[in-house]
Amino acid sequence: MNWYLQNGEDSDVVVSSRIRLARNIEGIPFTPKCRKEDLKKVYDLMKEATVSLGYGLKFFDLKDIDTLTKQSLAEKRIISPDFAKNNKPYSAIIINDDENICITINEEDHVKIQVYSSGREIETLMELAIEIDQKLEEIIPYSYSKQYGYLTACPTNIGTGLKASVLVHLPALTMTGNIRKVLNIVNNLGMSIRGVYGENSKIEGCMYQISNTQTLGITENDIVKNLNLITKKVQEQERVARKYLTKSTIDIEDEIYRDYGILSNARKLNEEETIDLLSNIKLGVDLGIVQELNDAKVQELMLYTKPANLQNRVRKSLTLYEQEVERAKVVKEIINAQ
Amino acid sequence: MKCQNCGKEEANVRYTQIINGVKKEVYLCTECAKELGVDALEMPDFSMNFNSFLGDFFSDYMERDLLPSFHTEAVKCKTCGMTYEDFIKTGMFGCSNCYTTFSAPIETLLKNLQGTTKHIGRKLNSIKEPIKVENTNNKENNKVKEENKLSKLQKELEKAIKEEKYEEAAKIRDEIKNLKDNQ
Ligand SMILES: [Zn+2]
Ligand SMILES: [Zn+2]
Repeated sequence: MNWYLQNGEDSDVVVSSRIRLARNIEGIPFTPKCRKEDLKKVYDLMKEATVSLGYGLKFFDLKDIDTLTKQSLAEKRIISPDFAKNNKPYSAIIINDDENICITINEEDHVKIQVYSSGREIETLMELAIEIDQKLEEIIPYSYSKQYGYLTACPTNIGTGLKASVLVHLPALTMTGNIRKVLNIVNNLGMSIRGVYGENSKIEGCMYQISNTQTLGITENDIVKNLNLITKKVQEQERVARKYLTKSTIDIEDEIYRDYGILSNARKLNEEETIDLLSNIKLGVDLGIVQELNDAKVQELMLYTKPANLQNRVRKSLTLYEQEVERAKVVKEIINAQ
Repeated sequence: MKCQNCGKEEANVRYTQIINGVKKEVYLCTECAKELGVDALEMPDFSMNFNSFLGDFFSDYMERDLLPSFHTEAVKCKTCGMTYEDFIKTGMFGCSNCYTTFSAPIETLLKNLQGTTKHIGRKLNSIKEPIKVENTNNKENNKVKEENKLSKLQKELEKAIKEEKYEEAAKIRDEIKNLKDNQ
């Protein structure tokens, strides 16, 4: 099963983890300054390197991947929506069937090694990312300076080139009005926490991303350690808020089951409302309130109600209206599956 | 002093924030510290900035003249043709040589952005280094130990100089240098 359908450690709060290493190739300008032939150099070098990496990784030119699949990768948070949409020449990804490793070519930096997992798995991911990095550096001459470490187009990534992040679900902190306080503290502690915004610039289903801001003058170990520390702290606060919510059992059960009623009975569901409903229902499942569903089904619901993954599942390109109808059908299908 | 969060109780917890490279002390009462989760966090002294709008961020620095004026002269990166003005506009450098060309303003920029200017993470071609990532709960941190040793040595050095024991000072200085080189 792919990582985005699994439930990892502490998955009641931590949905997924990601490690990203930004790398550039010496002797070629950074991507924003690249001419076409520079982009091609990066592209060719990485294409050639793919086989020696292993892990079942395959090289794909972005223009050879259909729009729906690219968009569905963005919905799984494997590539950025901007990269999915871009049509610059020689943009590519190296990805495996498990989709837990994805290396992007010619995004902001020449190479971005990214690894993913469900739940809170930062240490294991870090080891995997370093392993891939070490294989690559044997083949690819990285831009590196003794003083500044790995050089990147943007100085916010310099040094380790490492961005470690976790996606957390914080519905109870949101409902109890404590979310701003938590955001404030975490941001002041040198980590960044921000809402995951959808197309309509509204925070999507109480999802937040916590990641490191400092990349230079700090070791990879300390970045991982700090992120774990902060994540555990946030998770603790969320669990306290959840405990508080369940004090008035009937109220919270009523709220969540009303949402479940809509989700399981509607004949038409739009994307935005589904995200909100699923946020509450995920909370209900994590609290043991909703007996009709389990973690795995919630993960499935969250994925296959996203536009591109929905259309990919039914193998049809649909209008917005058709998507709403199909979404309601798929929801019922997943809920009723054995 | 009153707690800076609630403004009511007497403050008795202090912690240091570093925002955009500027250290700031925050004083909280026990209750607030607990509530804000600061009491249980033993955060290492790392630096931070959380500006999401890099463009604004960099041009703010321009306006505030925090960067050396050197960059306003039209210095161009010989490799990619980038000027520092270009960087201020986009927030991105053109090539690895830019980091050498604009090293003077970059030092200031990195200090503000990252709180430091020296890479201490993994080194290039460190393949023989074990890739084991340290367990979070492992309190025995070599780096911390080394840093403690370093600051102890530095104190000893100061003392030796003060007491005019120069031979001893030279020895300590060598030891410090060794320690730093190995980091
Ligand atoms: Zn207080
Ligand atoms: Zn340059």
